[in-house]
Formats: sequence, C-alpha cells, structure tokens
Amino acid sequence: MANAASGMAVDDECKLKFLELKAKRTYRFIIYKIDEKKKMVVVEKVGEPVLNYDDFAASLPANECRYAIFDYDFVTEENCQKSKIFFIAWSPDTSRVRSKMIYASSKDRFKRELDGIQVELQATDPTEVGLDVIRGRAN
Amino acid sequence: MYGGDEVSAIVIDVGSYSCKAGYAGDDTPKAVFPSVVGSIEQTGETDEAKADKEAEAASDSKNGAKPMDVDKAKTKRKLYVGQELEFRRDHMEVISPMKDGTVTDWDIVDNIWNHAFRQRLLINPEEHPMLIAEPSTNTGQQREKAAELMFEKYKVPALFLAKNAVLTSFASGRATSLVVDSGGGSTVVAAVHDGYVLQKSVATSPIGGEFLTDCMMKSLESKGVVIRPRYSFKKKEVGPGEYKVVDLDLPNTTESYKLYCMRAIASDIKESVCRVPDTAFDEVAYANVPTTSYELPDGQTIEVGADRFKIPDILFNPSLSQTIPGVDGFADSMSVRGLPRMVIDSVNRCDVDIRKELLSSILLSGGSSSILQLKERLEKEVLEESSGNTRVKVLASGNSVERRFSVWIGGSILASLGSFQQMWFSKAEYEEHGVSYIQRKCP
Ligand SMILES: Nc1ncnc2c1ncn2[C@@H]1O[C@H](COP(=O)(O)OP(=O)(O)OP(=O)(O)O)[C@@H](O)[C@H]1O
Ligand SMILES: [Mg+2]
Repeated sequence: MANAASGMAVDDECKLKFLELKAKRTYRFIIYKIDEKKKMVVVEKVGEPVLNYDDFAASLPANECRYAIFDYDFVTEENCQKSKIFFIAWSPDTSRVRSKMIYASSKDRFKRELDGIQVELQATDPTEVGLDVIRGRAN
Repeated sequence: MYGGDEVSAIVIDVGSYSCKAGYAGDDTPKAVFPSVVGSIEQTGETDEAKADKEAEAASDSKNGAKPMDVDKAKTKRKLYVGQELEFRRDHMEVISPMKDGTVTDWDIVDNIWNHAFRQRLLINPEEHPMLIAEPSTNTGQQREKAAELMFEKYKVPALFLAKNAVLTSFASGRATSLVVDSGGGSTVVAAVHDGYVLQKSVATSPIGGEFLTDCMMKSLESKGVVIRPRYSFKKKEVGPGEYKVVDLDLPNTTESYKLYCMRAIASDIKESVCRVPDTAFDEVAYANVPTTSYELPDGQTIEVGADRFKIPDILFNPSLSQTIPGVDGFADSMSVRGLPRMVIDSVNRCDVDIRKELLSSILLSGGSSSILQLKERLEKEVLEESSGNTRVKVLASGNSVERRFSVWIGGSILASLGSFQQMWFSKAEYEEHGVSYIQRKCP
C-alpha cells in the first residue's frame, strides 16, 4: 500500500464513520483533522442527518485546515431524489503554511481509505465550498 | 526505516541562480548564495595528473584514438564558492553547474553542497538526513547520481528527493494545482495531481529571471548606459563630500567575471523598477511613460522609462526580446512560448476531468514571480485564452519571501514532520538495495 507523502496514518474510526454515512446515512457530514502527535488523521466531529449545509459550513474552522465529508441531498430536474458524497480538502489561505503542508501531503492516501467518494473539492476560501459550487458539481 | 528524528534534517534546493540551504522546521533557508562559482585553472601539473597523462599517451599509441574529454578532465581547477565570488581574482572565470535546468557538472554541485554544509550551516552531513529539492524534469539518472554522491561522499544517514512543483503545491495547501515556477534560468509550468507531477504536462521555457536581466542590461547598453562593475573603479574624495570615480586597470579580469558583476547590477535595476504592463507592451504607447531614476554603484543616475514595462512583458511575449539590440535569438524558437500559452498548453495535456481544477489553482512561485502585476496579468490572459466560463485563479503568497522560497519552505516542513521520518531512504536501505531504490522510495 502506497504511503502518504507525509507518512501520516489513518485512524480506523475515520473509515468506520464514513462507512456508516455511506451505508446507513447516519450523518450529514464528518469533519476530520490531523493529530500531529499521534501522526494520524482522526475524526473531529460528526453532524446528525437533520443538520443542513449551513451547519456543515459553520463546522469548518476559519483559520485551520480540515478534511470533510458532506452528504448532499438534492432533487434532479426529473424530480428524482438523489444524494452525492463530497470529499472536501479545506485549506484556508489564512491557515499556517505548516498546516497546509501537512494536509496537502496526506490527502491522497487518506482519500483512498474512503471508498465511495463521488465528488472531490479543494477549497481555500468559503466561496469554493459554497452551496452553489456543491450544487454545480453534483450534476 | 530511518529512526533518527531527534536531529534536524537539512533541506537544500540548488537552483540555477541560487542555492538555498537550511534546517528543516525553519521558516526560511539559513544560507542563500549564488549557484555559480568562480574557477581558476591551475597551471603546473600535479605528479598524479602527469602519470595519468603518460599512461594515456601509451595507450593512445596502441588504439590510435584519443578518448574525448581527457584534457578537460585532467585540468586542475580551484573553485570559489559563495562570498568568495565577491572578490575579483585574476583569471577567475564564472561557471555554472547547470544547463537548461539539469546538472552538467557534478563537481561544482559537490562543491556547492560542501560549502553549504560546512561553511554556512556548520554541520556534519554524516549526522543529518537530507531532503533535496529537485527540478520537476529531473531524469532517473540524475536522481541516482545525486543519491550516490550523498551516500558515498557525504555519508548521510538518510535521504529524500522531492520535486520542486510538489513542494510548492503542498506548501500552498493543495495536492492538485498548476505550478508556475519562474526562477533564474527558466520558467517551468507543471501540473501536480494528488501530490505527483504529471510528467506529460511539464512545459519549460528558457525565459527566466536571468534572461530578463540580460535583456535589461542590453537595452540599457543600447541607450548608451555604461554599467561599471563595482570592482572596476575607486571613488576618490577630491573635496569635502565630493568624489571622483577613477577606473582601475585590471587586465587579468575575465570576461565572464565582468559580465557576472554587471549582471548583478542589471538584476538589481530590474528588481527595483520593473512592473508587468496591464496589456501587451506597445512601443508607441509607452514612448512617453514617466521614468524612474536609479543610482548605479559608481554614482551615475540613470532614468528607466519604457523598459520598466517592456522587460517583464517578455515573459508574456518572448519575441519582444528580439527588438533589443544584442539579445541573441532563441536556438529553438518553437519551445519559446509566452507564459499564458505555456499554462494553457500544460493544462490541455492533462486529463479533461482535472483541467478545471488546475485552472482554478495556478500557483506562482520562484524569484521572478515577485514582479509587480504578474499575477493579475497572467490571470487576465489565461482567462481570455481559455474557453467558456471557466474559473481561472492565479494564486501567489502575498509575501515575496514565501514566493521565492516556496520550494525550500515546502521541503522544510515536510522533512520536519514526525510522520515523515519513516519515509526517508535510509543508508541501510541504500546498502541493501542499491542506488536505484531511490526511484521507489521517492517517486
Ligand atoms: N523582486 C524581483 N523582481 C524581479 N525579479 C526578481 C525579484 N527577486 C528575484 N528576482 C529574480 O529571480 C531570479 C531567481 O529566482 P530563484 O531564486 O527562484 O531561482 P532559482 O531557484 O535559483 O532558479 P531555477 O529554479 O530557475 O533553477 C533571479 O533572476 C532574480 O533576478
Ligand atoms: Mg528554483
């Protein structure tokens, strides 16, 4: 198994929570963070299914990097109820270079642990994960 | 696996213009010095060289053919690195270890590394893991050569090679981006996807900061400006606060040293006055643009007008350089494209799926990316050239130190991560698997 460029490991919990979201729709979103001391990616927070996009957006810290999974529900033009699983690499411009580096260099490996991501976004400011962007990419 | 994360790693980026070296974890490289060195050929053969020559002469007469490069290899030379280059010496030539972004003289690189470790960082390389930043175009052979030298000669405990574009991309928080590195000897555009350089996307052009410096110098010369190198004159006080410049007669100064010193001045002029014009440069429209004054080391004050805009515009429109008297034509004019064209071509060589993402994260790095208005102009032209309503975003750190050193900074952070310590190519692995293992450890 290829390693992340940074050598960062992934806590099993990350995968388990993702599988629950995917299979049982038990969460609206999952926020992951890197614990540098533990040298691994861990789950920071999960959002209940009743929460919406705004709650998700509010969970992304303004000045720190995170990874996130967001389960986006929408209705197609044919009036069909659908959902898409988004992976978001959140790396705000205002975060520290060190933190940007850690997240960017660990992303590829981490993403590959989460089997079933449908759309991927990399965002450095809130407009890049705006609801309009999510809507646009869902189709 | 290399387990020594208690000692700090060393990060080194030898560019075509300057070498940056320092401790992993630091914000900026501790040592930054020129990548060119002074060289004086030593007359008088050593006994060893003499013996070699005699042996060769004997074998020559047998096979009749003289092997190539024998003379070159046998000439002894003394190299002057770093600040030593600031002193003029008789017969000292200025030479570079690189040509078109690849190393052509490993002996010089060796001397540069050695200078960085022992004279500037004051470390013993046997005690520190080394992270080397390498050009995105580096060949497998070049990587192995670097690894061999590091393990065999410097006896480093562990090594890692990382590509320039990847380090810049990571340092900006992106695993996917289009990196535009405008440095000294060249400008390189490379797409990075999920942390790897997409080789087919790499576009290079010989138009980097040094070419612009050359154009600035030639253009000023064509207008009658005489740039006097600092070593070539003395200021004599002829009255209170009044100085007279006296030229010194130094007939043994080499042409390459003189040029090196003149370029240093032209480079400073360029860095102080240039600004990319908002639209393509036009000789007529800029004829009466207000000038900026600049004081040369000898006290002359020059006025720079249209050149302030014309010189940086060459990055966008390379053929403009051909209107400057004395600037050589390009050997391969096909490969010389303006920056927006390089960006578009590079993106178009990537998978359709990722083009959008690349265009919305174009990262500017390298010393020449500090030229004012470069970011704005590039964004505008790429937007004009790309189809439809694509989102185009050119990003550059607001801090020019971060822009210039983004490669080094990326390496500095990576090598200091606790989790990274298991990634090193260790000395034990080198001994067990051989040098070619570097290709597996550092893909
Ligand atoms: N403020 C500035 N304005 C314009 N040019 C600048 C400025 N600062 C530095 N430069 C130019 O940047 C160039 C050096 O850039 P850099 O240090 O990135 O090169 P390098 O990494 O050694 O080379 P390369 O990566 O091309 O092999 C020089 O030509 C220098 O004149
Ligand atoms: Mg460089």
